[in-house]
Amino acid sequence: MNKIYYNRRKFVKLSTTAAVGGAAVLSGIGFPKEASAQIQTNNRTLRLGFVGIGGRGSYHLNAALGIEGIEVPAICEVIPKRLQQAKKWIEEAGLPTPRLYDRGVTDFNRLCETEKLDAVICSTSWEWHTPVCLAAMKNDKHCVSEVPIVLTLDEAWQIVETYERTGKWATIGLEGFGQLSLLNMIQKGMLGDIIHAETGYIHDLRFVKFSPDEEPWRLQHSIDRNGNLYPDHPMNKMLPALDINHGDKIEYLVSMSSFGGMLNDYAAIYYKNKNHPLTKTKIALGNYNASLIRTTNGKMMTLIHDTSTPHPRENYRIQGTKGLYVGDATSKKIYIEGLSPVEHEWEPADPYLKEYEHPIAKNYNPPPRRGGEIQGHGGGGTQTPQHWDRLVRALRENKLPDWDVYDSITSSAISPITEASVANKGKAVDFPDFTKGKWKTRPPITLT
Amino acid sequence: MYKKYDRRNFVKLSTSGTFDDADSFRNIFPKEAFPQNQTGSKTLRLGFIGIGGRGSYHLNAALGIEGVEVPAICELKPVRLYQAKRWIEAAGLPTPRLYDRGPEDFKRLCESEDLDAIICCTPWEYHTPVCVAAMKNNKHAVTEVPICITIEEAWEIVEIYESTGKWATMGLEFFYNLPILNMIQKGLFGDIVHAETGYIHDLRMVKFTPEEEPWRLQHSLNRNGNLYPDHPMASMLLALDINHGDRFDYIQSMSSNSVMLNNYAALNYGKDSLYAKAKVSLGDYNASIVRTINGKMMTIIHDTSTPHPREDYRIQGTKGVYLSNGKRIYLEGISPKEHEWEPADKYLKEYAHPVTVNYNPPPRKGGAIQGHGGGGTQTPQHWDRLVRALRENKLPDWDVYDSVTSSAIIPLSCASVANRSQAVDFPDFTKGKWKTSPRINLV
Repeated sequence: MNKIYYNRRKFVKLSTTAAVGGAAVLSGIGFPKEASAQIQTNNRTLRLGFVGIGGRGSYHLNAALGIEGIEVPAICEVIPKRLQQAKKWIEEAGLPTPRLYDRGVTDFNRLCETEKLDAVICSTSWEWHTPVCLAAMKNDKHCVSEVPIVLTLDEAWQIVETYERTGKWATIGLEGFGQLSLLNMIQKGMLGDIIHAETGYIHDLRFVKFSPDEEPWRLQHSIDRNGNLYPDHPMNKMLPALDINHGDKIEYLVSMSSFGGMLNDYAAIYYKNKNHPLTKTKIALGNYNASLIRTTNGKMMTLIHDTSTPHPRENYRIQGTKGLYVGDATSKKIYIEGLSPVEHEWEPADPYLKEYEHPIAKNYNPPPRRGGEIQGHGGGGTQTPQHWDRLVRALRENKLPDWDVYDSITSSAISPITEASVANKGKAVDFPDFTKGKWKTRPPITLT
Repeated sequence: MYKKYDRRNFVKLSTSGTFDDADSFRNIFPKEAFPQNQTGSKTLRLGFIGIGGRGSYHLNAALGIEGVEVPAICELKPVRLYQAKRWIEAAGLPTPRLYDRGPEDFKRLCESEDLDAIICCTPWEYHTPVCVAAMKNNKHAVTEVPICITIEEAWEIVEIYESTGKWATMGLEFFYNLPILNMIQKGLFGDIVHAETGYIHDLRMVKFTPEEEPWRLQHSLNRNGNLYPDHPMASMLLALDINHGDRFDYIQSMSSNSVMLNNYAALNYGKDSLYAKAKVSLGDYNASIVRTINGKMMTIIHDTSTPHPREDYRIQGTKGVYLSNGKRIYLEGISPKEHEWEPADKYLKEYAHPVTVNYNPPPRKGGAIQGHGGGGTQTPQHWDRLVRALRENKLPDWDVYDSVTSSAIIPLSCASVANRSQAVDFPDFTKGKWKTSPRINLV
């Protein structure tokens, strides 16, 4: 199976949130408190290898090349055109010509075994994320992966065990955390104790799943699997807001899918052929999937996955003992008991989101960027994205990334667990405690 | 103690008056049940059981309709009973017989009186007993929601209906979001994939105030699940064709912890007060996911304890989606921008439901309607439709099967919560008739 295709999802996501969510979302990344002080970053040269340089990989490479002191000695990609373009970018940045790894889909193994690198940046299609992470960690490299970092519980445990054995971490750290102003309000107690959060990945990907230039490998996942196939974007808001793995943990979840078939209907439209084989292929994925998730401390999440029906994007709703917030691209409302002017009535959330802008967003002073606009999907900006700045600082200072190993795999492990529940008529499936009890004492994620 | 003020519908109505179209208030008939011919004026004899806030409203609405008589009323509280008696006399009707010998006296009323129907507005736990007593004594029963709170009660109602031909209904509950229903039935959303709404209504004060509905507090102490599904179901049952071509297959329900009611008691009555320390079963937030035989999904929420404005309604079909939050709609190929909301107002106007547009209220005797839910000066459409159903021997808008299906979510969600969100099969109250029962087309 090809491992690199254009990756449009992040592009669309970023461009949407840019219109909508303010700078805090775009720069939404931070460190565990203990991991990042306000000290001056050192400028140690970092050596990064890139595996998978499609749409999203191009973006990451381009962002990295703009940062002083980063070298890219090795790149791996199966499509020659992409590989050569990446090589050209690296040379144009004044860096030594990289070694090229292009001997098929598992050539990342050779890269990891041969090269001396600080970290690997993995932007392949989903099924290669864990193999790339494991190859990197086992060869003395950290690994930064696009989401999801795992597709199965076996993969999740392999990553934990490899991390605990080698000290090398794997992360979805370039995912960032979303809705930072709101997280700031929550951590200041404005909504009281959190009771329930609801959001999802509601994004019509029918075109993306069929177009060869987009992510056609996603279609195979829809054919094979039924559950929540893409939990990490919604989890980048809910995990820190609910203190998952940091004082609380996911106890169990149940998941339900509706009938499927939207993708069959779309095949007839896409190919302009009612008899195209894909109009008859059995699609496992339900058009709509909802999971109810309960934490050990009794909080709840409702997590939605719908990539097949026609719709604008998802909402985020979070209810605490003192109030709640509901927001989406065009509407943001809040109600805080005793504070909002009219009892039981919404008020606009914008003044709050402004007042409680997260310090890391407010104080971000981007380092000078070499080169012009960032290329690739997710690009367009002319300054170094904060998630890249924070990743680089973590690597230089030997700190943990914003999403540590446990949080990263917890987020992505939702997929296989929802699949197990859907396959068993919604049976409650226990969530593994990847932290082995450490969730009880791990402090909340406080980004500084 | 079975009669207390009932504020919920009042608040609900006043809220939906602000946000929803007028037709959300009104009630409609199955096509087969209601031809367009002239309504007869046969005198109807109604008995009222429970005349608190909501019962007052219904009595007052009924007294405004020509040809309705109220020969008997039943109520525990003398103040309420005698006020009802005076209203009936003031309407020029004969003085009613009064039933005031305790909370079971509705049985004597049902056994003694010759009535077309009784109207039941007691607290929840008496709804089924009153319906059963009425049906067994040759009377139809119209009850406030929920019509039942256990599965045994649901089946009891079905069986008595099938053996007596007398129905029980929550037919004075409205169907909501009628323009959306109209659009759904015209195919604008394609096939419905998922619907979500709930009863999200901060009732902490209502549960603790003696003049409100303190009996509700006991339900929160004893039960954990979705305790009040019928208002959201008034939007979703018809939209999903439940019991009419599809039916609920199974339900899963989950509740959060419970802290809000203890906190409220501590704040208002002291940290050592009874309910500050009482064990409350009801989780502050409850969500249920329900799957139909045909693979549609429904998410139904219950939250009566946290601080919040009211719930949203979202419905997704294969061709588009509607969201009540900001009244927004997206219809593929019709909305001007791909994957972007547009305001729904013009659609809601264009697809105003014919039963709303064509409603020509009969002249009402008396002034503004009293009681909780009142204030209007014309006969509410749900009352007009109920009266016409009774006069023409038709089924009410919510038939027995639809009524018990809606309220059965209560015990089924509680059973699921108690078993770690386990899937609980939904009984087929129609015994297979859902397969051939036609879609409800309100005319």
